[in-house]
Amino acid sequence: MNGEIEEIIQVENLRKKYGAIKAVDGISFTVKRGEIFGFLGPNGAGKTTTINILCTLNQPSSGVVYINNYNVVAHPDKVRSFIGLVFQDVTLDDHLTAEENLYLHAMLYGISRKDFTQRKIEVLKICELWDWRKHKVHDFSGGMKRRLEIARSLIAQPKILFLDEPTIGLDPQTRKKVWDYIFNIRKKKDITIFLTTQYLNEAESCDRVAIIDHGKIIASDTPENLKKMVGGDIITIKTEDNDSAEEEFHQKFPQYNIKKIGKELKIEIDKGNEFLPVLVENLNAKIISMELRRPTLEDVFLELTGRQIRENDNGHIETESPLFDLSSLFTLFNPSHNHDKKTKSQ
Amino acid sequence: MIKKPNLNKLSGIFILWYREILMYVRNRIKFFSSIFLPILFLIFFGTGLKTIFPLVTLPYDFAEFFFPGILGLSVTTMALSSTMSIVWDREFGFLKEILVSPVPRSHIALGKILGAATTGLIEGFLLLLAAPYLGINFSLKLFLGGLAIIFLIAYGMASLGICLTARMKRTESFSFILQLIIAPMVFLSGAFFPINNSPAWMVNLSKYNPLTYGINSLRWVVLSQTLKPTIISQLTTNNFITSLGILISFDILITVLAIQLFRKMC
Ligand SMILES: Nc1ncnc2c1ncn2[C@@H]1O[C@H](COP(=O)(O)OP(=O)(O)OP(=O)(O)O)[C@@H](O)[C@H]1O
Ligand SMILES: [Mg+2]
Repeated sequence: MNGEIEEIIQVENLRKKYGAIKAVDGISFTVKRGEIFGFLGPNGAGKTTTINILCTLNQPSSGVVYINNYNVVAHPDKVRSFIGLVFQDVTLDDHLTAEENLYLHAMLYGISRKDFTQRKIEVLKICELWDWRKHKVHDFSGGMKRRLEIARSLIAQPKILFLDEPTIGLDPQTRKKVWDYIFNIRKKKDITIFLTTQYLNEAESCDRVAIIDHGKIIASDTPENLKKMVGGDIITIKTEDNDSAEEEFHQKFPQYNIKKIGKELKIEIDKGNEFLPVLVENLNAKIISMELRRPTLEDVFLELTGRQIRENDNGHIETESPLFDLSSLFTLFNPSHNHDKKTKSQ
Repeated sequence: MIKKPNLNKLSGIFILWYREILMYVRNRIKFFSSIFLPILFLIFFGTGLKTIFPLVTLPYDFAEFFFPGILGLSVTTMALSSTMSIVWDREFGFLKEILVSPVPRSHIALGKILGAATTGLIEGFLLLLAAPYLGINFSLKLFLGGLAIIFLIAYGMASLGICLTARMKRTESFSFILQLIIAPMVFLSGAFFPINNSPAWMVNLSKYNPLTYGINSLRWVVLSQTLKPTIISQLTTNNFITSLGILISFDILITVLAIQLFRKMC
């Protein structure tokens, strides 16, 4: 195994344009063998586009990508033979049973029958679907489908596993199970994992994280180092009148940074435990609650972009839909128009 | 771990074919209606029309005339509509699972074509079995010859179907397109009336219709023991060798086109 390189994924100045939209706008990064590498970014950041290019399903507009030293554009067949991919949307065959889905996959990857029988038992047991192996996938819940997809991607024993939002739409317990499973695989097998996520706590479980926004990587490091960018501690306070409290804070502590985030005020500070009493003593505003914590990746994202990664949690505006939606007529002539909504809403 | 050699490069074609057949057999409604409908057709066309036009004197029987036509129609419809599975797979995501696998694009396309062609072949086989009950005589050799022609038609139509799926993202739109394609193609092929007696524009159009040559070939083979060659030539636009040659050429060309389009659309 002397010929194997340390940096199993190498991406240099990758770009992908869709007309005027720059889905991926000049990103460069490397992933080391055996690492869990996370791509953290909000909706539309360019995560799926990047993964699709890395997995040979999409052509880059410019830039180069090497997977295990093979150029993805020049040697797509080679690259496909040693990667596994779990897509953002379900890609199982509904008409078939769990076992048949695994079998088809094994056949597509040229796995011998003997190897298949053995690995099938292994993966079905790990993802706790053994009792369901004879059932049609049609009857599975979202979480079961997800687990089956991860199990399927392991049948061919890939060197690199790509997971595009592996836990999207799952409840917290199932999400935890999927993660336990991911760690489990990494421990047992010599495998590199590249995953994308919108969940900050998931990104914190990765060895290294790249934060992507509007097609650009705005930071890339270990979660610990990223959090150091923000500084020592975070104090959040809620007061009866945040606007005047903010004003007052500015006057009394001009040297510190304060920001209004939703219904709270956020202060970044080096020694939060010492500053807390000072703050309480000096601030006249009526404080409802206060909290001292370590920075999270959410704070990092906020610091870098000025936005929260998932803004739908507060201030969600419901738009009124028109009585007659003429755009649905339009889909008659342009069938691809409505397609995304349909597959995502399952 | 030792990387196993890729034992059989063609196994990708096989597995895609296998899945296509699995889908066909699993879909019971499609399976039974595909057998039942053409038989219904035969009964209506064969006996129905015979009683409506009893006075027309022709050197051939209505059943004899319609049987190859119905056969061609059924096989065409079956093979073309089976290619809908590609659109289906695209709509529900499974196509991506296939595309990211190491199976070459051309093998995926061929597997799909062969799968769809096989469903057409099964349909044709079942109809051929019914032929003797309609007064069409067979030897084993003719039966096999008929099957071969049916396969050639089914194969060409399946490839045509793959070409049509290139830009299709929704199954509904695709079935609409299929209707648009099948109806004129069947009517301009001489399946339901001898194209020789039609207006010149129809004759001209039918020359560019691949199915014309499929139906011709079918008539030459299937009816060869029932009718005299001079009578068959009244029912067809070309002789057997020409028809078969054009049919095979079409199959080859359309396969190349289908693979090219399939490569491009992924
Ligand atoms: N086929 C396409 N044609 C046109 N624009 C596209 C296409 N695919 C993606 N885009 C655009 O590229 C941008 C990035 O999309 P992408 O799917 O990569 O985002 P993402 O980070 O995966 O988002 P999500 O979290 O919603 O999955 C978006 O603005 C999207 O609209
Ligand atoms: Mg995505």
